[in-house]
Amino acid sequence: MKLAALVVLVGCGAGAITPSQTTALPAHQTRMIDTTPKERRRMVSPEVYLRAYLTWFGGLVPLDVQNRARPKGLFDAWDDYLSALGLPDYKTDLPRQTQSNTLMLATLGRLGEALCARAAEHDLHGGKTPLDQRVVFAFDLDGADSDETFMDRFDVLHRTFLGYPAKLAPGERVTKFHALWTDVAARHAKAKNPLTADETAWVAVCTALVQHPEAELY
Amino acid sequence: MRSFRVLLLAGLAGFALTARDTRANLAVADYRYFRALSIDLAGRPPTRAELADFERADFDLDAWIESHLTGDAYAERLRRIYLDALRLEIGPSFQYVPNPVMLRRQQITGPDGAPMFVYFRRGQRRVDPARDGDFCLTQDETGQQFPTNAPPTGTAKPIAQAVLDERTVVVKPWWLYADYRETTPTDVVAPEWVKRFPGFVPAPALLMEPDGKTKATSVRVCREEAQTAETGAVYVSGRVAAKKGEPLPGGRLTQPPGDSGFAKTAKGRAVSCLSGTGFSSSVECGCGIGLERCLPNAGPQNEAPAFVMPARTPLGEDMPFEANPQAPAAWIRMWWGEEASKFLDALFIEDRDFREVLTSRATKVNGPLAQFYRYLAGASCCGPGADVGYSQPEPLFDPAAVPEALTPEDTATWLPVADRGPHASGILTMPVFLTKYGSRRARAHVLYNAFLCKDFVADSVKLSPSNDPDLMKRPGCSSCHQTLEPMAAYFTRVQESDWTWLPATVFPMSNPKCANGKGGGLCKQIYDPAFDKLRGAYGSPVHAEQGPAGLANDLIAAPEFAPCVVENVAQSLLGRTLAPEDDAWKLQLVKVFVDGGYRMKSLVRAIVKSPRYRAGNDRR
Repeated sequence: MKLAALVVLVGCGAGAITPSQTTALPAHQTRMIDTTPKERRRMVSPEVYLRAYLTWFGGLVPLDVQNRARPKGLFDAWDDYLSALGLPDYKTDLPRQTQSNTLMLATLGRLGEALCARAAEHDLHGGKTPLDQRVVFAFDLDGADSDETFMDRFDVLHRTFLGYPAKLAPGERVTKFHALWTDVAARHAKAKNPLTADETAWVAVCTALVQHPEAELY
Repeated sequence: MRSFRVLLLAGLAGFALTARDTRANLAVADYRYFRALSIDLAGRPPTRAELADFERADFDLDAWIESHLTGDAYAERLRRIYLDALRLEIGPSFQYVPNPVMLRRQQITGPDGAPMFVYFRRGQRRVDPARDGDFCLTQDETGQQFPTNAPPTGTAKPIAQAVLDERTVVVKPWWLYADYRETTPTDVVAPEWVKRFPGFVPAPALLMEPDGKTKATSVRVCREEAQTAETGAVYVSGRVAAKKGEPLPGGRLTQPPGDSGFAKTAKGRAVSCLSGTGFSSSVECGCGIGLERCLPNAGPQNEAPAFVMPARTPLGEDMPFEANPQAPAAWIRMWWGEEASKFLDALFIEDRDFREVLTSRATKVNGPLAQFYRYLAGASCCGPGADVGYSQPEPLFDPAAVPEALTPEDTATWLPVADRGPHASGILTMPVFLTKYGSRRARAHVLYNAFLCKDFVADSVKLSPSNDPDLMKRPGCSSCHQTLEPMAAYFTRVQESDWTWLPATVFPMSNPKCANGKGGGLCKQIYDPAFDKLRGAYGSPVHAEQGPAGLANDLIAAPEFAPCVVENVAQSLLGRTLAPEDDAWKLQLVKVFVDGGYRMKSLVRAIVKSPRYRAGNDRR
């Protein structure tokens, strides 16, 4: 027994493995690490949104926009919307809202709809407004409907609200918007007043673009 | 066929021109960068025409950026950063209704039986005890009693013409006549004033006679209020207050004012009619020429309508949203806020040293502000200070520095004032700051936060009961107040919720008459019995003597000042808080900012051209 224990001890104690010297692994490829903190896009501030909105409405002052947009219940009064847009109220120490909320999105939707419907009445309906005097829909509705003509017209709105050409838009945006246009036009096929089917379809496209996340963020 | 060929050629030429002159390789990121620049520097997304320019081969983005580092939109973008931090607008919670300034009106029945308005000041001194400090017509004369801040009660009777002529006069006031200072004013309020004085719209109630049909071309005002003297002699009535239960003279509802200690000691001495002391102690002080020292109210109450003005102006006062008649207090508060905005805008547009936000003695004023600083600001002075001879206010804004060209209606003309006076110091001595942050500690706190990017966070110590008045020593308080009290002490000589300066020549740091809690109103209001010093000075008597300008110098000399500016601006433009990974970049920006003479243009340029701005908000 004693002998067996001695054999075990000798066997374990001898020939200890020492760790090798640490060396860096050879590089395969050098890549730059981007340590810039990444965040989601910023919200367009309400002041910028308001100024853009007034510009899209043809450079009107706020009270004129209100007067023009109000008929048929499309718009109430600016006072009903200003706080919902996230504006700070320094008088009451209400801070600027830096995140969106459902009320804000509903407000943006309502404002967008008012803008697009009124702009279509001004720009498209009756076809009397010269092209250079159109505030949003700076294109003619003459000619046959095709993917190409839709793309050209859609590009005008895409640039207006999102700031870049439609051809650079991701995925199938153009196709989807064309489908929206076709669907709305078909559902309003018999409509003539206040807008024709085509005009109503463009209002739908415009309304969707003006409240697109890319329009509200940057 | 020929025309088709022409069209084809023209089209080809157009295509060739387009292909040569546009940049075909622009990516979405390029457009997004340009849109971000446009939003931040031009104040709106790019238009289609601007996008077309951007796509041109010869478009120079650096030149575009450079050309947009100035102008209203650029200034508004930067102003927003500091207004978000300082919130320099005053709401209705700060009531500005000083009796010397507010001209109220009562409706009585005229000699012909028709209703008529008579303007008056509450508290106006008059010799007759039946009318002293009250409306200038009595119950005997009108059939009515005139409760404080409320419409008259009782059955009105026509006033005798002789009484009316004796007690009142007809004036062509400043809110109806732009040339009210002329001997015979003729420039009466008219529709074309909308263009000349945009934003100046008297409430309809001020423009009409009581019948609601006749345009007001003048106002009838109590005789004492119509006085124009610069100074008045201190008046002592010598009256003995009526005993309880005794009828009050002339059917009045309140006791006539008694003689103050100041009046008794300074009888006959000349006092400024621009000061509250003059108003409350002289029967010779009125509202001045054209009632320019007073603001009209279309009623007897505190907040009667006076001017039609927007409730909110997110795009500036020249781009108003809905407007409605509001009280004169709202009118004044709005212009206090606009002064700070215009002051900040000038710093950014002229690319001045940003440290001037705290140190500059310059400002900009328009008509309403000129009227306020010339004629109204002194009205809150001097309270119990009069007892120690302080009846001529030593202003934060020297009225002599106000440009003479500005009339009260002139809202659109903003003129620079190079030097407001020796006590002025950036936004620190503007009424909007001093009333928004009424207490000395609130003033110090917001500056500590906005300009050093630091806040007061309480220690997690066990609180033990203490009655030590020194908050720099009291357990649980000391961790914050050791810093806060010395900072707050810089505002010792500016009265709380006001702009009245307390000069050292009149108010020494310690007053033996007030030692150990002795003395009356002055000692209780101005001096702190716990420390036998001016209130608020105990944290640092040295700071108290330096005034707000001393705090401004301390703040801009602090090592945190420049990094704080960088942090505020960078965070706002990036739309996120700076992270530890940004530290090296932040240091670079601080160097750019400081080396650039603390001017915003160099800082903003460095930020918007950085990869962080260009791509930092693209988490995909």
